[in-house]
Amino acid sequence: MRMLATGSAIRGLPVVTIGGGEDVAEVRDVIYDPQAGRVLGLTLNKRGFLAGRSREVLPAEQIHAIGQDAVMVQDEGSLILPHDAPADVGEPPSGRDVTGDEVLTEQGTSLGKVRDVVVLLGSNGEVVGYEIDAASGGTGYIPLPTQLAVSGSTLIVPEATKDFVEKDLVGLGAAVDDFRSRLGPS
Amino acid sequence: MSDSFTAVSGRKVVSQKSAEELGDVAHIVIDVKRRKVASLIVGKGRKALVLDWDQVSGLGPDAVMVADESALHAPRDDHENAAADGKLELIGKRALNDVGNDLGELSDVRFDPKTGIIESLVLGEREEAAASLLGAGSYAAIFQTSAQ
Repeated sequence: MRMLATGSAIRGLPVVTIGGGEDVAEVRDVIYDPQAGRVLGLTLNKRGFLAGRSREVLPAEQIHAIGQDAVMVQDEGSLILPHDAPADVGEPPSGRDVTGDEVLTEQGTSLGKVRDVVVLLGSNGEVVGYEIDAASGGTGYIPLPTQLAVSGSTLIVPEATKDFVEKDLVGLGAAVDDFRSRLGPS
Repeated sequence: MSDSFTAVSGRKVVSQKSAEELGDVAHIVIDVKRRKVASLIVGKGRKALVLDWDQVSGLGPDAVMVADESALHAPRDDHENAAADGKLELIGKRALNDVGNDLGELSDVRFDPKTGIIESLVLGEREEAAASLLGAGSYAAIFQTSAQ
């Protein structure tokens, strides 16, 4: 059973140092790479009354774990200025936003439109699925294979994804391993 | 015999030399790396003083004894100022594990009154060994995941 969270649930989480027990920042947004299917890093807000955008970013390699209640880092040195970060994190290329993209199966069934990414908690940013506005109505959650084709506006997923449209994150957490094992090694 | 932070909190600090009461214990500060009591904060607000653990002559059930009032000193740096302000108070502090999940609030800390060595930390119904404490600061106390 895997614990999952949407990108919007991660926004606003405190970034806390393991060694110091200090909240050094707050998550502003996730930097997502749809090709890689993972979070590359997080942009940050400052903590406190004068909270505003922080210049620093948190690359995924510096994240110890994204949890339900906090993002854990080793120490304050984990937050770095954009020009010290990997290019993808320091200056994320535009056109990576998958929100609103149509999800099509390989055989041409539309499952709906992407609303948010679903991140594996306890990881440093592994994306295991998407939250979608389901074509059948309401909110749905679909698992992602480890590799997938994306264009600017459409995402092609394996046909089997049809059988794994879940109603909630608990269902998706249970379905991810099952789905990936059905697809075989990628 | 172990003592606990909630029990020591409020205990009077007395000078052995003058028999005068110098104040009450307001906060207890720990050294996370050594898992030991580092100091006691005596009194509150601007008058708060720091009593380093090695200046404690005896931690008894009814009073904390010091040789004389010179055992206490005013806060000298940022860390001691934060401690004097109660920002490092562990009791009531949020507890998180190292993968970012909430474990509730720290309700007490048990320690050996002779050595200051921390024995365990109480999280509501649960008690965690001191060894599972990874860090503690103004925001939270961090525990090893296996502690769950």
